[in-house]
Amino acid sequence: MTEQTPPEQVYLTPTPVRIWHWLNALGIVTLCVTGIQIRFPEYANIFGTYKAAIRLHDIAGITVSISFLLWIFYYLVVARNIAKVYVPTLADIKSGLFQQAFFYFFNYFLGKDNPHTATPDNKFNAIQKVTYFMTMFLLIPLVVVSGLLLMNIAPLRAWIIAIGGIKFLVDAHYLLACSFFAFLCVHVYMATLGHTPFAHFRQMWTGWEKMEHTG
Amino acid sequence: MSRTRGYLILLLSALIPVMTAAAVGAAERSTCLSCHGERKILNKGTHLYIDPAKYESTTHERIGCVACHTGVTPRHPADGVRPSRAKCEECHAAVYAEYEKSSHSAYAGCTDCHKPHAVKPLLAVSGRDINIQCAKCHDNSATVKSHAKWLPQAALHIDALPCITCHTGSKETVITLYMAKRAGDSRLGGVALAGYEDLRSFIPPGKKIGRVIDSNGDGAVSLDELKAFNTSSQFKHISLLGTMMPEVVTHSFQILANRWDCTFCHASGPNAQQTSQLAFPEQGGTYSRMIVEKGAILDILYGTPDFYMTGFTRNKTLSIIGILIVASGLMVPILHGTLRFLTRSRRKER
Repeated sequence: MTEQTPPEQVYLTPTPVRIWHWLNALGIVTLCVTGIQIRFPEYANIFGTYKAAIRLHDIAGITVSISFLLWIFYYLVVARNIAKVYVPTLADIKSGLFQQAFFYFFNYFLGKDNPHTATPDNKFNAIQKVTYFMTMFLLIPLVVVSGLLLMNIAPLRAWIIAIGGIKFLVDAHYLLACSFFAFLCVHVYMATLGHTPFAHFRQMWTGWEKMEHTG
Repeated sequence: MSRTRGYLILLLSALIPVMTAAAVGAAERSTCLSCHGERKILNKGTHLYIDPAKYESTTHERIGCVACHTGVTPRHPADGVRPSRAKCEECHAAVYAEYEKSSHSAYAGCTDCHKPHAVKPLLAVSGRDINIQCAKCHDNSATVKSHAKWLPQAALHIDALPCITCHTGSKETVITLYMAKRAGDSRLGGVALAGYEDLRSFIPPGKKIGRVIDSNGDGAVSLDELKAFNTSSQFKHISLLGTMMPEVVTHSFQILANRWDCTFCHASGPNAQQTSQLAFPEQGGTYSRMIVEKGAILDILYGTPDFYMTGFTRNKTLSIIGILIVASGLMVPILHGTLRFLTRSRRKER
């Protein structure tokens, strides 16, 4: 298989991760859009009825929760490289973040090369690592747990009161969701910064990434 | 002057029969309860026992026993004559007529829900008290199951709302907050409505139960008082649960068309819904109401931390903060994309 592949391409994203990614993407976009109608029903009526928005939000939430568990299972049990791929190193924090930010916000406009080259074991640059680490290990678990509590208020009311009340829970869920929405905007845009605007999208669909020339 | 005197005479002549009836009522009531208020009468028939504590809080107590049981003779019960019973419609004609037209009337009479010797006004009962009455015929799990066919979070709705919030002719609703306590010692052991005895220790002797929250005693609950209550370690076992009650009572048991639309409740819509009241448990199981400062239920954290209705009690400031977070995310592609567009020729050269 590798022999038939052009040498300038590298297999970066295995099939289970790609399935998870697109399932997650669909679920999160659905959650964001239905969430707008749920919080602002008098301004947004996207799905006809409020009930439809709630039901779709619940289904998407469960889908994202299950896909998150599958993602953890894959990286912990099958790939066993979750720390290598997602946990930022000290070098990432000390210099990698600055280098990468300098590239995105300065050198990129000068047409200079990306300081990071993606490999299967080092897929993400420092900014990506920190962002994805925060997203996958903090943002998603908090959104999922708060969402599951909100789906089961009647049986879990005492738990909800114990953690600060339903209003705190709802507000936290809302602000986390807004953060997620903001992340999504940046994430989709950054994905267009490959050697062509659709190169990273293609990679996430096929798994293969054309190597960028680092100069 | 003569006209004023005339009004006074008219007023007195109107009050005399009422005062006389009340005085006579009180006298014969104590006579009746001397037997019917004693538990030993249960041996002759459970229907003969009148719980004095419950009876005392009813409106019927004010008019007295013989107002309804007119056939009681001075020789009762030795005369062996069973006293007559007034029919509800003799006094409550309008309510009766309305109820007769409802589908409910074929299955239950007035006394199936309202015990004449224990009946309380709507404002003196909690939403849960009302639902206990409904559950006598409408099994709770079956009700949840039937509502779940169309209603999201059916169990939560049935648990949090009195049935009459939707099954009513009342066009408007009002938010009512009830005091709840931990059902057990555990923090996670569930909650139940707090009674008078649960709160009595928090108020000085002789003060009204409302002083638990209404610290300045002005008869209204302000946001500051709610904050003080919700942040005080003294009340860590007590919380406020909210529900929606109909603004007026009807016996039509209809379902207004707008109740099928979730946004009737779950939207920052009718102004009436911005009004809320706090129900304090009184002795004898009744409730007294106190108006809550307008907008207090919309406060982010301290107003009513355990009451939230999706899409309705959202906080405006928090909504704006959320929108700003999203906007900051959108600014990255907008600003970076603009610079990217402007520098496209330089990058092509490279």
